Amino acid sequence: MIRLDNISKAYEAVQALSDISISFPRSKTTIIAGADGAGKSTIFRIILGLEKADSGKIYINEDEVRKDFSKITRISGFMPERFSLYTDLTVEENLDFFADINNVPFKRRESLKIRLLENTGMINFRNRRAGALSGGMKQKLSLSSILLSSPELIFLDEPTTGVDPLSRIEFFRIIDMLKEEGKTIVISTPYLDEAENGDHIIFLKNGRIIKKGDIAELKRNVPFRLWRILPKGNIFELIKKLKGKNSEGENFFIKGKYLNFIGKHGDGALDHIDAIEISEQKPALEDIYMYYESEEVKGDAGL
Amino acid sequence: MSNNIIEIKNLVKKFGRFTAVNSISFGIREGEILGFLGPNGAGKTTTIKMIMGLINITEGEIIVDGMDIVTHRKKIKDKLGYMSQKFSLYPKLNARENVEFFAGISGLSRDKVNNKIAELKEIIHPDIIEKSVENLPPGIKQKVALFASLIPDPEILLLDEPTSGVDPKMRRNFWQDIYELKKIGKTILVTTHNIDEVEYADRIVILHRGNIIVEGEPANLVREYDVDSVETLFKEAVKKNERD
Repeated sequence: MIRLDNISKAYEAVQALSDISISFPRSKTTIIAGADGAGKSTIFRIILGLEKADSGKIYINEDEVRKDFSKITRISGFMPERFSLYTDLTVEENLDFFADINNVPFKRRESLKIRLLENTGMINFRNRRAGALSGGMKQKLSLSSILLSSPELIFLDEPTTGVDPLSRIEFFRIIDMLKEEGKTIVISTPYLDEAENGDHIIFLKNGRIIKKGDIAELKRNVPFRLWRILPKGNIFELIKKLKGKNSEGENFFIKGKYLNFIGKHGDGALDHIDAIEISEQKPALEDIYMYYESEEVKGDAGL
Repeated sequence: MSNNIIEIKNLVKKFGRFTAVNSISFGIREGEILGFLGPNGAGKTTTIKMIMGLINITEGEIIVDGMDIVTHRKKIKDKLGYMSQKFSLYPKLNARENVEFFAGISGLSRDKVNNKIAELKEIIHPDIIEKSVENLPPGIKQKVALFASLIPDPEILLLDEPTSGVDPKMRRNFWQDIYELKKIGKTILVTTHNIDEVEYADRIVILHRGNIIVEGEPANLVREYDVDSVETLFKEAVKKNERD
């Protein structure tokens, strides 16, 4: 429903976004993955009209949006990286406040509120001051407050940064519930293990897309293979040996006791090494990101 | 075990009526990478601050290389290096100035400071060495911060969430640098928010509400608890601790 076409944006000398063309599949979770400063927040701000792109076009349902961003904001909920809750108000008062400013009809309000509090496991905390909630609870309350206006499109900018691991797991359970209700969800994150919870991914680096696509499909068509080796002797000796015969498209990195080996071709490179165990692994999104990132670097060098 | 370079015994920290660390005991073996994991408020940073001697212990003991933190604070401090990606550097200074500053307070001679700057130039591109640190990408900042924490040549490194906000490639490279440090004999304690990252550690300690709820080698723990991943293990251990 929303489509960005060649969007670019610069802040003085910094090119925040370069030629971004993306769309967000309906009723799916799209992850925008990138480090701090990759341009994740700028994408949200441009979609919501909070920032003007230098060039490029934005469409909603194939209609170009030029000035009137209410076409988008009317059906969107946006949770910025720093949640804006009223810390002196209780959980329920916060929800009432957001219901007021979003003109949620009184008739529907009560049942909606109860459903949100139940779905997020916060029903027993409805009378607690927002300021006294844990990070994970604050995050759930912020999410609930943007859900009061029943948005079709949900934009969440780094919702899990600074939130503890357990709350993050819980958070993605709620996201899945929303997806089942048919919501279209866009989440930015610097964590690729978290990105595994999405359907669609956009890898962003320095304002540019280095790869995008359906996560399951990216995983089916991985252009390399990954092995995990438990060396018999010293791991650094093994690296030295492998480096000696390193050929193109091969790479390795240590993770705990294991040496991970990335090869473009078969496992021939591993024929004569001393190992207790060698097993082929399914690449995670992190491995896939690393691959496309290094391909891009190579491409740049060739220019 | 006797080859623990840091030994923590029945350590307690109370802030008024609130118990931040509730009688924890664990050791850090010489030359290992110990992953320290737990939700916000679990007591990770409080424990690190007590090891650093920045806050007093309420009860219990911290022994570093055979010395008690209460009586040998200064000597212990010389053995410790500390880095947190967010707070270790002066943002308005550039990378070179930061290194000069940290080398200066470590008491290095002018020649040695110059050597350090030459080393820095090998890991940081000359174009950005004169840029304010606040304008550098997180991954570069992290590299400079790690470099600065190593200036006094500490035996033990305490890294508090060193990888937050860093892109995946820099994070993986960072860990390869950590293994290089392990190779030359450094002992490393790392705290992290990212469960997937604990697989990089030799051993892990999971803290929740001031208590240790899991301790061991990641691969062994997964086998022992018969779970599919450290993430599942973490989830279940926290749930159990919340019930108890």
